[in-house]
Amino acid sequence: MKNRYLVGGPITPLLISELMTLGNDDNGAGAVSIFIGKVRDDEVNGNRIKALEYSAYSEMAEKEADGIVKTVKAAFSDVRKVLLVHSTGIVKAGEASLFIMVTSGHRDHSMRACRHTLEMVKEKLPVWKKEIF
Amino acid sequence: MAARVIVLYFGAAQKVAGNASEDFMAEDTLSLRRQILERHPGMCRVTFRLALNRNLLKEDSLLKENDIIAILPPFEGG
Repeated sequence: MKNRYLVGGPITPLLISELMTLGNDDNGAGAVSIFIGKVRDDEVNGNRIKALEYSAYSEMAEKEADGIVKTVKAAFSDVRKVLLVHSTGIVKAGEASLFIMVTSGHRDHSMRACRHTLEMVKEKLPVWKKEIF
Repeated sequence: MAARVIVLYFGAAQKVAGNASEDFMAEDTLSLRRQILERHPGMCRVTFRLALNRNLLKEDSLLKENDIIAILPPFEGG
């Protein structure tokens, strides 16, 4: 199965730019909401996190992500596009590991749907992380 | 009749099992859970759900040959 929702390593500024271009080719969309999740350099037991290593059950994650996108589109009628990308592998503190972009006709659905997508990712995407110090 | 199934371990479960996957002979997921805990007693400290062929299970299920069971600790994405 081709990975459409998982990417190896961080979600780089270049990839973010490409995703924004990809999701922004619709002149009927008057609102674009974006969420970018980044790795924090939290301190755990006196040690600073340098990176997170993400692992995923790829086959299930692709299926679940597909379901999330369909569910969000069905729940918010004004939504036109939902882009969702999560990292696997090592992502350093300060780098992005999650990208969500929702376009809609008007602002209300894009903002609410973006938040809803994020909550569904946390609940449904089979992804795990390991701290690297 | 017991079927040969493949068990995939993820996250904390993989660390406890020391493997990414193993084969088991089991008739249903109840029996499979028992066998997993017998083989890896440390798994009793791991909270996990099961997925059968990529679908999250809400209740125990019969198993058939070559089914893929995933051991899924709480998700940590986002």
